Amino acid sequence: METQVSTVEPQKRRAASQWAITWRRFKRNKSAIAGLAIVIAFVLFGTVGTFFAPYPQRSHEALYQGQAGQPPSWRHPFGTEPSGIDVFSDSIWGTTNDLYVAVAATILAVGIGMLIGGVAGYTKGLISDAVMAITQVFFVIPTLLLILFFAKVFQVLVFQGYGLTLIVIILGVFGWPGITYVVRGQILSTRELEFVQAAKAIGASGSRILLRHIIPNVMTPVIVLASLTTAGNILTEVVISYLGFGDANQATWGQLIEEGYAAGLSIYWWVAFFPGLLTVYSFLASTS
Amino acid sequence: MTVDNLQTYFFTEAGVVKAVDGISFKVKQGSIHGLVGESGSGKTVAALSVMRIVPRPGKIVGGRVVFDSTDLLSLKDQEMRKVRGNRIGMIFQDPISSLDPLFTIGSQLTEVLEQNKEVSKKEAKEEAIKLLEIVGIPEPEKRFNSYPHELSGGMKQRVAIARALIARPSLLFADEPTTNLDVTIQAQVLELLKDLKKNFDMTIVLITHDMGVIAETTEYVTVIYAGQISESADTRTIFLNPKHPYTESLLKAVPRLDKRRELVAIPGNVPNLIDPPSGCRFHPRCPYAIDICKEKVPLLEEAESGHFVACHRWRSFR
Repeated sequence: METQVSTVEPQKRRAASQWAITWRRFKRNKSAIAGLAIVIAFVLFGTVGTFFAPYPQRSHEALYQGQAGQPPSWRHPFGTEPSGIDVFSDSIWGTTNDLYVAVAATILAVGIGMLIGGVAGYTKGLISDAVMAITQVFFVIPTLLLILFFAKVFQVLVFQGYGLTLIVIILGVFGWPGITYVVRGQILSTRELEFVQAAKAIGASGSRILLRHIIPNVMTPVIVLASLTTAGNILTEVVISYLGFGDANQATWGQLIEEGYAAGLSIYWWVAFFPGLLTVYSFLASTS
Repeated sequence: MTVDNLQTYFFTEAGVVKAVDGISFKVKQGSIHGLVGESGSGKTVAALSVMRIVPRPGKIVGGRVVFDSTDLLSLKDQEMRKVRGNRIGMIFQDPISSLDPLFTIGSQLTEVLEQNKEVSKKEAKEEAIKLLEIVGIPEPEKRFNSYPHELSGGMKQRVAIARALIARPSLLFADEPTTNLDVTIQAQVLELLKDLKKNFDMTIVLITHDMGVIAETTEYVTVIYAGQISESADTRTIFLNPKHPYTESLLKAVPRLDKRRELVAIPGNVPNLIDPPSGCRFHPRCPYAIDICKEKVPLLEEAESGHFVACHRWRSFR
C-alpha cells in the first residue's frame, strides 16, 4: 500500500527534480517495481493484446475445428472450453472488459463519493449530519448481497447487451461511501489549515479557494484510495460473474472461472486456472 | 486605521464566546503598532475581524473599522475582497502551513496579482522575483520554481511576507510572524519588517505575546486582555511607565539578563470568555483589586496625552 502512494505522487509535482527524486526512491523498492511492471503488463495485455487474440470474443470456433475441451497446447495456450471457446483469447478479452469495468466503476464511485463527501465536508449542521447518516447506512449494509440483488433485478439489461455497463453502475453506486468518508475528513482538516486562511487574506474568492486550494489537497489520498478501489472492483466483478450474475455474452475472468467450475474443475482445470491466475496477479500487483 | 468598539463573538454550542468585546484603538499611519496579550486574549481575532475573515462560528457583531476613510465593516463582500491582499496584507503565524504545499512559491506569489491586478504573466513573474529579492531570498529566479517543502522555516516566512507585500498594501497585519522561528531567524525577520516599513512607507500591526519583540520593533503598543483593551500608549511609555496592573505583570514576567530579579508569573489563567468575570476582567488575577473592580467595568480613560488605560485605580499607582 505504501508503494502505491509513491507511484501516484509524481502526478501532482511539476518540477523535474521532484520526479527524479520520487523515481529514485521508487526504484529502490523492488516489490513496487514488480507491481508496476505487472500492472503495465496487464494494461498492455488488455489493450494491445486484443490485436493478437487468435479468436474473437466468445467465439466457439474451436468447436468446429474439433478442438473443444482441449488442454493447453501450442495452438491453444490456455486450452479450450468444452463449448469450444479459446481460453487464451477470452482471457485477453476478459482483461479488456475487467479493466474497463474496474476503472469505469472506480471513476463513478470517486465521482459520487467526492460530490457527496464535498457536500458533507463543506456544509455544517443538519445537512452534513444527514448526508453522513445516509453514508453510514450505505457503509454498513452488506454490499455484496445488494449488488447481487440489483444484478438480478436489472438482468433485462444483460439480455440487451449492457451487462458490463450494469456491473459498472452497480459497483459505482455501492462503492462510494469509503471515498465520501475520506473526502469529508480531508476537507474538514484542509479548510482549517492556514493556507486557506491565507488565500482569503489575499482576496481569493470562495470558489477559487475551493477549486485551487482545497480540492487539490483533498485529491492525494483519494488517488491512493481509487487505486485500491480499482483492485477491489476487479475482485467483486469476478465474484459477481462466478456466482452466475454476470453477462455470459461478455468474456470476463469471472465468467471464465464460472464456466470452468461448471465444466468440472477436475477435468477442465485450465478453463478456470488461467483466468484465476490473472485475477490473483492483477490484484497483488495493483495493491503491492 | 481606526478600530472603534469592535465586537466579534463566536457562537459555539457551549455558548457565546466574546473573543473581541468592544476594543478601540488607533494605528498611526506609517508606524509599527504592537498588539500584545496572552494566548486567547483576542488579538488574532481582532486582526481577522479587520480583514473580515473570521472563521465560523465567529461573527463580527458590532463596531467600525475605518481605513482610508471608509468603514471596512460596511463594505460589500465583493468590495472587501478587493481590499484584502491589495490594500491590507496579512502574514500568518505558521509559515509552514500558510503556504499551499502543492504549488510552487512562484505561483503562490503571482496568484495574488492575478486576483487583484491586471498584469501579464511575465510582469507578475518579474514582480514576484523582485519581491523575493526584497525579502532576502537568495537566487530568487531559481526559488521561484521551488515548492514550499524545499525551503527552511525562515525562508518560508520570507515567502509569506513577500506574498503579503506583492500587491503593495499600505497596511500589513503580522500575526506572531516569528513565533515558530528560532531566535536568530526571528531577529532577521523583525529587521526585515522594520526595513519594509521604512522603504514602503507601510503601516504594520504586529501581533505578539512576546514583550521582547514589542520593545525591539514597535512604536506604539495596545495591550489586550480577555477581548478588551487594558492599556494603549507609545512603546516607551508602556515599558517605563505602565499604568495598568496587567501590563505591569506582563513586564515582570519577562526574563532579563541585566537585572537579577525573580520572574513573576501571572497567577491563574485567561478567563473563560463565555462567562467572563464581572467588572474589570482582570480583577481575579490582579494584586491591586478592590471591591469596585468586581462590580464596575472600567472605562478606557486618557491618563496622559496618547496614553489610554482601563483601570479603576490607575490614579493611585505611582
